[in-house]
Parts: sequence; structure tokens; C-alpha cells
Amino acid sequence: MAVPAQLPARRARRVIARREARWGLLFVLPAFLLFLAFRFGPAIAGLVLGFMDYTIGGDAEWTGLDNARRLVDDPVFWQALRVTAGYTVLYVPLTVAASVGLALLVRRGFRGVGLFRSVFFLPVVTSLVLVATIFSWVFSSDGPWSRILGWVGLPDDSWLASSTLVLPALALVGVWSHFGYGMLIVLARLQDLPREQEEAALTDGAGPWQRFRWIVLPQLKPVLFFLLVIETTASFQVFDLVYAMTGGGPARASYTLVMALYDQGFKYFDLGYASAIGVALFVMTLVVALIQRLTLGRDK
Amino acid sequence: MTATTTAPAPTPAPPPRRRRRSYRALQPGPGGVVLRYVLLAVASVVTLFPFYAMVVLSLKPAAAVEFPGSLLPWPIEFDAYATVLDSRDILRWLLNTTIYSVVSVVAVLLLAAMAGYAFAKKRFPGRETMFWSFLAMVMVPYHVTLIPTFILIAKVGGVDTYWGLILPTLANAQAVFLMRQFIQGLPDELFEAAKIDGASEWRMFVRIVLPLCKPILATLGVFVFLWHWNDLLWPLIIGQSGDMRTLTVGIASLQKEQVPLNVMLAGSVVAFVPIFAAYLVGQRYFTEGVTMSGIKG
Repeated sequence: MAVPAQLPARRARRVIARREARWGLLFVLPAFLLFLAFRFGPAIAGLVLGFMDYTIGGDAEWTGLDNARRLVDDPVFWQALRVTAGYTVLYVPLTVAASVGLALLVRRGFRGVGLFRSVFFLPVVTSLVLVATIFSWVFSSDGPWSRILGWVGLPDDSWLASSTLVLPALALVGVWSHFGYGMLIVLARLQDLPREQEEAALTDGAGPWQRFRWIVLPQLKPVLFFLLVIETTASFQVFDLVYAMTGGGPARASYTLVMALYDQGFKYFDLGYASAIGVALFVMTLVVALIQRLTLGRDK
Repeated sequence: MTATTTAPAPTPAPPPRRRRRSYRALQPGPGGVVLRYVLLAVASVVTLFPFYAMVVLSLKPAAAVEFPGSLLPWPIEFDAYATVLDSRDILRWLLNTTIYSVVSVVAVLLLAAMAGYAFAKKRFPGRETMFWSFLAMVMVPYHVTLIPTFILIAKVGGVDTYWGLILPTLANAQAVFLMRQFIQGLPDELFEAAKIDGASEWRMFVRIVLPLCKPILATLGVFVFLWHWNDLLWPLIIGQSGDMRTLTVGIASLQKEQVPLNVMLAGSVVAFVPIFAAYLVGQRYFTEGVTMSGIKG
């Protein structure tokens, strides 16, 4: 009895499902095709190119690990690696510290808190090329930074012209331009924290530092982990600031990996070798993400 | 809570009062307030000083750029702006940047909303595979894909063209995720009701999905705009003739050409004003975008 009534319903449902699948595909397809052509495809091609000798207009030739060997023997690559690592070591802890510090300062509501938050976020929306332009002056020999150093009795040479101080200068600019981003992320988490524990600690006589160290900080761990990964990855890929501020100089003292990739690819058109640098960057990113996950991200 | 029917009256009163008191208790004392304002003031000066210097120095004659004397807002000259706007280059760069940003925003939002809608509400073969391949690519640094993408665009004649500049940047996986996430939260009943009313799929998308997505579209749009407006590497590679430069590429090139500082800063101010205006108007969306956990650094 029920069967004849069911059958058309099921068939109708199947028709509807098929129609829905067709429309689903149609809606996804434009984005997916672009994604295949400009992300997925190039990512695979980038990995493959890293094992080839290829100059634009010339033939592509499979050379296996030649590029890798060349990288290992290339002092410029090692320099770029050192510079990138140095930048990361300076930039990441400072940025995370500044993010957390300022998030704590603007945590509770008080008069004008919104204004402070918007001020601190302003550098994040500013193009790094503009940031580089103005900071080139700040760090120049007759700019404010040199003057301040002179006033407090330190050597007042331009940091951008010094091969030892150019990286700290760039890292400071990097921190300036990005701490507002971390601040907002930490702030969002801080505002979700329940008050009870802090209040209890307060009644037990815990000072601000103790409350931060033992109650707030542990709960910030997931956010700090996220920030650490984001900022480390970003610092591996630093380019805009370096390109516009120093061009990698003086004497390659601020020559980062992506600067090397850019030069090899678009100045010397050695696209295979440039891709090999890209692969190295990819491997580094993976390794660091993995290490951070294993050491810091264990609980969540 | 369930006991309220038997014992109604006095219980609800105390909690808010206690909360208010302890809220005050967690606020810093007078010394703490002063310290907080001092720290905030220092941080604000450090944050704002470069912007102040950029504007003031762009209004000075080139020779007088010295610290601290030249930071007084007097005398003011508009020579640098006259030079910048006279050269016509910067207007071209401004046009290129605007085309790059605006077209990209519209296209990314449309494509991401469509794909996000399909991933969230439709069943179709290959859905999981496609979605996971999107997800996997977030781990791969942009720079690995840079060279093959350039080769591809060069091979099809896209160097120094707008479409060559724009098309590859439309593949934005993060935007698709965000839209999917949001659309998943929309109630299914809405779509079923529209289906029963005989609305076509496209009509449903335009009349139901897009209007309901306004908040997320605004947030995402602001971020995509910002990212394109400030982008350097891709326009630098693809726009090789002077005519195809964007503002970022153009200003970076001025730096290499030893243009006087006040002229360069005037150019920077011109490039900064639209972003600053957008920031003032759409600040809420910027901050929401960040807290929705980072689209693009």
C-alpha cells in the first residue's frame, strides 16, 4: 500500500537532490577553477620547479638536487637565511610582548579606551611602503632616532647604514607596524575570560603581576600560540619593508630570503633556482609550525 | 533556576551588585590609573609620531628636513604636493591602485559568497575533496606559488595588463572559508521556504544569501581592499612598465630614484589618505575582521 505512494516521492527527492548538486557545483566552480589555476597548480609547479633548471624563454630541464646543492654552497643563500633568522628572533618576541602589554593596558573600559585602540591599530592598515618611507627618515643620520641616541650619549650614526644595527632597526619598524594586530587578537581573548578567578585571587591578596602570571597568562596560551605561528611565518616572508627601506643593504646585512627569491627570479630570471628558495621557505615554515605545535601547543 | 516558582522574590538582586563592586575592585587604584595613562600616552606618541612627521615634512621645503626644528607646523609650503600632482605619474598610480583594489574586492566577495554558499548549504559530488584542498593550501607560503603564477601569466600575455594583475589574486581561500562559516549559521528553513515559493537558485542567492551576509561581506570587503591597496610584490612583478605601477610600487620606485624627501612624503600622504578615510569610516569592520581571526597578516 505504502510503496506506490513512496516511489514518486523518492524519485522527486532524487530529482531535487540532483538539481541541488548541479547548482552547488555551479556556485563553487568559478572560485575552485581560479584556485586550481592560481594556487593549487602553482604550488605543485613551484615544488617541481625547485628541482629544475629553468630560465624564462629557455628550456626547462630536470636537474634533480642540483638546485639544493647549489643552495648549500651559496654564501648568499646562507646570508639570507641568517638575516631572516635574525629578523625573526628580534621581531617575533617583541611583537608578541608589545601585543600582550598593550592589550592589558586597553583591556578594561575607561574613558577614551576606544580611541587608544584605534590609534594602536592605525599602523596595521598603513602600507609598509609608506611605513618604510617615513622610517627611512626616522633612522637617517639627521632623523629623530640618531638625535635621541646622541642626546643620551650613544653613537648617533644612522642605523640603516650600519651592518650590525640595520636588522634591529627593521625589526623595530616591523613591531611598530604590526603590534596593533596582535593586540586586538589578545584583547578579544581577554574579554572572553571569566572574572571569577581573578576576583578570587584579588580577595586572596594577589597583586596585578601575580594575577597576570598565574591566572590570565595560562588562559592566553592558545592565543599566544596562534600569534607566534602567524608572526613567525610573517617574519620568514618579510619583503616589503626590506625592499623599500634598505634594498637588502648595506652589504647584504638585511638581505632576507624573499629578497633573494625576488632577485633570483625577477632580476636574474633564474626561475628554477628561485623556486628552490621558495621550497626552502616552505620547509622552514612547516618545521617551525611543527616545532611550535609540539612544544607549545600540546594542550589545545 | 528551576526553584524560582516556589521561592520567587529576593534572589535576583545581589549578583549584579556584587559584580559591579568587584568590577571596580579589579580596576587599578589611583597610582595604577596614572601609570596606565602614562604608558598609553607614551605608546600613542610612538605610534602617531611617524604619521605626524609624514604630514608635516611633506609640507616643508626639501632642504629644511632636520630634526627637531622641521617638525614645527610652520611655515607651510605646498610645493611638494604641486610637484607630485604635476608629474601625473601619481594620478596614474592612484588610478591603477583603485582599479586593482575595487575590482578585486567586488570579484572576491561575489566568488567567495557563491562558493561559501555551496559549501555550506548544498550537497554535490567532490564537495569534501574541494574543501580540503582549499584548506591544505593555507599552509603553503604565497611565495612558493609566486614564480609559477608569474610564468603562467607571462605565457598567456598578462604581464602589464589589468587582468594579469587582478585575476590571480582572486583565488582567495580564506575568503571562501569565512563565507562558508557564516552561511552555515543561517537557518535552513529560510531556504526551504523560498524553494517552496518557487524561487530559482540564483534568485535565492541574490535575494536571501547576499542580504543576510551584509555584515560579513563588509568585514571581508574592507580586508580585501586593504590587502590589495597595500600589496607590493605582485604588482611589482606584473606591472613592469611605468604605466602599470600601483601606488606602492610607484612610491618604492621614487625611493630608488632619490626623489627629495618632501616630495616622496607628499606622495605617501596621497596614498595614505584613502586608506585613512576608509579606516575612519569602517573601523568597526577592521577590528571585527581581525578578531574573527586573521585574514591576511
